[in-house]
Amino acid sequence: MTAKAKNDDRHQQILNAFQSAIGADNVRDNPATVNAYFGDFLPPKILGMSMPPEFVVLPNGTMEVQAIIKICNRYKIPFIPVGSNQWSLTGSPNRPHTVIIDCKRMGKIHEIDEKNMYAVVEPLCTLAQMQAEAYKRGLYIGSPEASATASCIGGHVFQGMWGVGYRLGVAYRNILGVEWVLPNGEILRTGSFSQDADNGFWGEGPGPDLRGMLRGYAGAMGGVGMVTKMAVKLHPYPGPKVWPVEGMIPNQTSVLPEDRFKWYMVKYESLEDAVNFMYEVGRAEIAGVIQKWPTVYYIMWWSNSCEQYWTEWQKRTFQDNVKNAVGVCLWGFSSGKQLEYEKRVLEDIIKETGGKPVKQEVQDMWVPRQANNWIRDTHGSRMMRASGTFLALRLQTDTLKYAIDHVRQGYEWVDKFSPPILDSDGPDWIGGYDFGHFGFGETDFPVEKTPEAIGDLMGKLLEMTKQDVQNGLENGIGPFLGGVYHAMAGPVFGYDRLLKGIKKAIDPNVVSNPPHNFPIEN
Amino acid sequence: MAKEMLLPKDPRYLKYPLEAPFDQEKARWIAFNCSRCSVCKWVNSWQVKSAKYARICPQHTKYLYDSHSGQGKCDLALAIIDGKMKWGDDPEIKDILFQCTMCGGCDAMDKNIRDAELVKMYRWMRAEYIKEMGPLPEHKPMLDSLKQYDNVWLQPRMKRNSWTKELKDLGIKDLNKEKAEVLLFAGCTYGLSEELKGTVVNIAKILKKVGVDFGTLGDKELCCGSPAEKTGNLAEYERLGTANIKKFNEMGVKIVLTPCAGCYGTMRVAYEELPEKMNFEVLHVTEYLERLTNDKKIKFKKEVPVTVTWHDPCHMGRMGRPYVPGKDLLGVYEEPRNILKSIPGVELVEMERIREYAWCCGGGGGAFSGFKDFAQWTARERIEEAKDTGASMIVTSCPWCETNLRAGGIGMEEKMEIVDLFDLMMQAL
Ligand code: SF4
Ligand code: SF4
Repeated sequence: MTAKAKNDDRHQQILNAFQSAIGADNVRDNPATVNAYFGDFLPPKILGMSMPPEFVVLPNGTMEVQAIIKICNRYKIPFIPVGSNQWSLTGSPNRPHTVIIDCKRMGKIHEIDEKNMYAVVEPLCTLAQMQAEAYKRGLYIGSPEASATASCIGGHVFQGMWGVGYRLGVAYRNILGVEWVLPNGEILRTGSFSQDADNGFWGEGPGPDLRGMLRGYAGAMGGVGMVTKMAVKLHPYPGPKVWPVEGMIPNQTSVLPEDRFKWYMVKYESLEDAVNFMYEVGRAEIAGVIQKWPTVYYIMWWSNSCEQYWTEWQKRTFQDNVKNAVGVCLWGFSSGKQLEYEKRVLEDIIKETGGKPVKQEVQDMWVPRQANNWIRDTHGSRMMRASGTFLALRLQTDTLKYAIDHVRQGYEWVDKFSPPILDSDGPDWIGGYDFGHFGFGETDFPVEKTPEAIGDLMGKLLEMTKQDVQNGLENGIGPFLGGVYHAMAGPVFGYDRLLKGIKKAIDPNVVSNPPHNFPIEN
Repeated sequence: MAKEMLLPKDPRYLKYPLEAPFDQEKARWIAFNCSRCSVCKWVNSWQVKSAKYARICPQHTKYLYDSHSGQGKCDLALAIIDGKMKWGDDPEIKDILFQCTMCGGCDAMDKNIRDAELVKMYRWMRAEYIKEMGPLPEHKPMLDSLKQYDNVWLQPRMKRNSWTKELKDLGIKDLNKEKAEVLLFAGCTYGLSEELKGTVVNIAKILKKVGVDFGTLGDKELCCGSPAEKTGNLAEYERLGTANIKKFNEMGVKIVLTPCAGCYGTMRVAYEELPEKMNFEVLHVTEYLERLTNDKKIKFKKEVPVTVTWHDPCHMGRMGRPYVPGKDLLGVYEEPRNILKSIPGVELVEMERIREYAWCCGGGGGAFSGFKDFAQWTARERIEEAKDTGASMIVTSCPWCETNLRAGGIGMEEKMEIVDLFDLMMQAL
């Protein structure tokens, strides 16, 4: 028997096993279907490092997911669970024989408990769907920088730096009960799901809080099995039951009711002054969102065509007006009076910290068109419009003050790496979370989507990351996601042993999206 | 001195190559720049009003695999163009390409986040597929009919005249012999369907009543070419489109009026790409009649007490204007709504997915003839959505939407009336 035929026999056996577990219609191995599961705007596909999966399977429910994962263990073939499939990040197969577990048949909202303010969702349910249902009930759930097209579950386990994280806690802190199939096929229920599979209101326990296994600094990347059900917190919302939108694609605007929401755009002389302002706002415990966006974010989200992007960028409309500006949205959570009170406090802080309003015409351009994206949807894919892709230099999650050093260091590298990095005006995104008790820094920029530019940049970023690791990661964590990066950077803090230990314990056959979230293969 | 700005080297990132011919290079540009954001699968997040009606793509909602979406078609185009796959490699390619209703839901959502023309890319893919694999057997009767009879319904040419016979006494002009400012272009489906031809008769009566100088082409009317265009049979489309433009120019009409959303989208958008230039304006009848209603030339006398919801036909709405990157996806959205609101007794309630983010009826792009079950499934989804508004009637103005919605509604427990706007207007006059 030739190697190929042997391989085909095995393929057929696996196919039969999947089909008998979840039905023939829900399993595909044909080239035209699997071809749609390995690409996005990120380097692996552009550089030819990802490949189509061998199978795509569509299970319905936890038991079918368990059956799939057991088959993967039996044949020792890797699987990758994917949510709403908004970008693939580490969801692109990087080795042969991969199985994509696509959750297209698992999009239910099982429950919305208005009184106890939580919802129980399946992995396909997007944040946009959950938001729409929450608004109707006077409740709220956030949106990550990427977009509300992201899966609600995915959005909670991955990073979770959403706008309202300032007030309501970053996404991963909003996870309650979780039902999840481990890489070895066991079903794990945490929080109150462990006592009652229909009741997700409580997050902790039993025993040590296992939710941390899912999140890391950017989620577990499918390396610890697949979450099939999650209870997530909802929050009070003073906005309308239907999101207000005026106009037509791609020029829509959105203005929230003035008696409950108010955006301020405040400009400072220096980044230090801007961050000081963010601290002061946090200290006063006011506002719903506070962000210092880089100028590239303004243009990325504001422009409605690539021509408009580069024309306006060359006019320096945003560079000259929003450098070191901070956007603050006040929310009258409990009443209009609360908003009035917060306005007075904020205006005092602006005065005391020497802030100046961003030019009114620039505010008028930006606020109705894009500011509320940080409440409902960032339309993150607009970031790719002007050059085909964007990348980040580093991320940093520590204090707001530390974020300043992080992005400053970032500028230098961006300068060094330009080209291939395109014009980006010292990109410095600083987000304030938990009332400013912690801060996030990220350095994002456009790069032209060509294998040459991306290949060149990836090499440079790898060198930078090696240096960073040698320096004890003083300036934040690198742009590489998941397992490989954890292996490089983990020893700096000693968390590699923890990740490795967990992975070994629950994934003995190394089937759950290797090498994430830690490489334990030889 | 300020540093020079580092801009992309490829000029297509500085300005979308709108004017470039739609060829393999352009298709590759669109496919290559797909970021797999999945925006093409969902209603724009700002517009999602419930979990139930959050989807935009009928094909992806029904068939679930990402290959059956805008994103998947980008991946397929890229694989084909880059030589990694051939049209004949997988029988599923046919389904991926042709189940799609060419409704443009994905296209509109995609345009919110990048500059691209997905539906045109699909059309290019279909045409390339056909070059290698031949037309779909399901579409063959339609194509043969176009070639033999210049209509899609296998009807003899002379039959095209039958609807005008009912208007004999009204003295409608025959524009093959006489001159008029306005040509009423019925289209194959309104003109030839026994069930639907009453609508175009009503339109003619309304136009006559308000004194519009118009005429028809009788049995000399040709298909607009839309079914051939949408199914990728571009040579046949070009033959019909070019013949129509030449004829309308020769006749010297100022306005070509059509009640069919399919004809409208094709004449208004696709004809712009043909070498033959148009010396006339293309209007949907609703656009024209709304002007007359606003000018009080049309006065409704009778009350029609009914709660209705308006279904936006894709090719009259989001696909009803040539694309200009960065500009609104304009279309005929307001006009029919304004007419409905002006009819005494009519209460208009809206579905969740409307205007540029409307859910398709399922009947377009050749799905009606090629993938009936899917087309009717899509229609049932729309009817469900309409029922949720509390309306008892879906009003629209496209013969394909009407036919497919009616077909989809068969067997549904709770019935929903599907009515053409002009028939409703007639009831109130
Ligand atoms: S919306 Fe456009 S860019 Fe995003 S996945 Fe769909 S086709 Fe690709
Ligand atoms: S044109 Fe319509 S059916 Fe086709 S992929 Fe786009 S949204 Fe889906």
